[in-house]
Amino acid sequence: MKHRLAEMTGRPMRVVGWYHSHPHITVWPSHVDVRTQAMYQMMDQGFVGLIFSCFIEDKNTKTGRVLYTCFQSVQAQKGSEYERIEIPIHVVPHEAIGKVCLESAVELPRILCQEEQDTYRRIHSLTHLDPITKIHNGSVFTKNLCSQMSAISGPLLQWLEDRLEQNKQSIIKLQKEKEQLTQELAAL
Amino acid sequence: MAASISGYTFSSVCYHSANSNSDHEGFLLGEVRQEETLSISDSHIGSSEFLSVIEVHNHEPCAQLFSFYDYAGNVNEENLNRILKDRRKNVIGWYRFRRNTQQQMSFREQVIHKQLTNILGIPDLVFLLFSFISTANSSTHALEYVLFRPNRNRYNQKISLSIPNLGNTSQQEYKVSSVPNTSKNYASVIKEHGTDFFDKDGVMKDIRAIFQVYSALQDRVQAVCCEVDQSERVREKIQEEVNKLKEEIALRKRNSAEEERRLQEAAAVTLPDNSALPDTSALPDNSALPDSSHSSLTRVVLSGPSVEPSLERAVNSSSPPIYSTTLPPDSPSAILLPRPQAVGSPGHPSPSVGLGNGDGSSSDSLNRQATGQEDEDDDDEDSSEYENLVSEQLQPPSLSEAVTLGRPATLWPDGDAHSPPGS
Repeated sequence: MKHRLAEMTGRPMRVVGWYHSHPHITVWPSHVDVRTQAMYQMMDQGFVGLIFSCFIEDKNTKTGRVLYTCFQSVQAQKGSEYERIEIPIHVVPHEAIGKVCLESAVELPRILCQEEQDTYRRIHSLTHLDPITKIHNGSVFTKNLCSQMSAISGPLLQWLEDRLEQNKQSIIKLQKEKEQLTQELAAL
Repeated sequence: MAASISGYTFSSVCYHSANSNSDHEGFLLGEVRQEETLSISDSHIGSSEFLSVIEVHNHEPCAQLFSFYDYAGNVNEENLNRILKDRRKNVIGWYRFRRNTQQQMSFREQVIHKQLTNILGIPDLVFLLFSFISTANSSTHALEYVLFRPNRNRYNQKISLSIPNLGNTSQQEYKVSSVPNTSKNYASVIKEHGTDFFDKDGVMKDIRAIFQVYSALQDRVQAVCCEVDQSERVREKIQEEVNKLKEEIALRKRNSAEEERRLQEAAAVTLPDNSALPDTSALPDNSALPDSSHSSLTRVVLSGPSVEPSLERAVNSSSPPIYSTTLPPDSPSAILLPRPQAVGSPGHPSPSVGLGNGDGSSSDSLNRQATGQEDEDDDDEDSSEYENLVSEQLQPPSLSEAVTLGRPATLWPDGDAHSPPGS
């Protein structure tokens, strides 16, 4: 993957950290997370951990929240429990979406479908099931795939189409601006 | 009333907002549909309730602030139409993103909202407010969002915004065993009629069919993604060209202004014994000054327009600025962040859900009430001043002095989370 990324971006790439999400729960890393991070740091001191907390809603104020935090682990004394230390993180502005990001977005439905197929294949290999149970399981597969399509693929496609349209409009505007500026430059 | 927005649309708004050095705003496009929920209970049979659901399909970001309204909050319908074009009929609300501000509508926002309601003819126009806060050391960031319905009376002013997700993926619905049944009739009937569901390979026909649908969809997703990728590259390229042209123009203007100034000064020096000119005797001394100080003087004079990097960057998004390799020990914005403790205490995982102090109490700074339900109209004016000051001028330095994560972090035995000394 490192090589493929390096090819795509034209820059040397290395894995610098790991991330995971905490849906519906607090953004702070659990003890397991802190320990996992400590293990990674044994291989690479610079490895960082990112956690995203999402789908949080304060029912009283009807306020939704998305949080993200960056951390590493430290051991206060030899043999003691690992603790979290905070690492500053900044999201860098970038007007265009990179190819790697787009590919990751499109990869998600593929991964979900693959997981579903793997689960179904395991179930399907059980031969002692009667026809009704087999039909039930097949329907579960169909239902789950439908869920994926309507919850993920559909909205993804919608966003892609909208982004394409937005880009087309931006390109038109930028072309006009470029022409104007070119004329202005020529006049100087 | 309920509202929903896809994760992708939501992320897209966040993306545009994060790219912006100032506040960011735009319109929400979508539809309102009525959902009938049928409820059956012991007390009444078949009672149905109608629930209005606002579906946000897409957003139309505004490239700049004040693009459809002025400083007094007067909405310009012409500009509005230019931004929305034929999407005007799909507008169901608008949104604003601000940093380090209260989760309540500012006075100007309320004024604009009323006008938009009238101009667009949408009685239940909604307003989605995003507020971004960070810890003092920038390790943890929170984006809060509230959906307001300002045109309703006080008691109905906020709506839950849900982001539909895949839900439970624990795969507990597959059955690994059949219910034991010794009935011969059962076995024979289901075997005989059940075969219709399977093809000659014993695979359920439905599965093949649904997989076809999924495959076709994924192929299309891939294809559109390629188109988007191409358009991103084209846009990037033209943006770069535009930036270069702007730089070139700015440089030429600076050079020619400098030229003119030099010519003027040279002309002033060569004018003999002109009593109208003050301190002509001082001028030859100036010309004896080394060129660097001259040009530094002109540089100071002419760099006026670019003094506010935030505004310039908002207008022409240039290539990513060069980031310093050292973390500023006290980035200026950190001092001005209103609630550094709002996102939890450093170094100690907080057991409470959401943001709060270790002991389970929430910092009351974070328990900011979206004040649709309270009589706090007087606060609005203050927050609008604050919104303009803090967001537009003070946030940019922290972004531009950002540190990339390439800097090797080291473990500090004393658990110090702050910048390592001297690096």
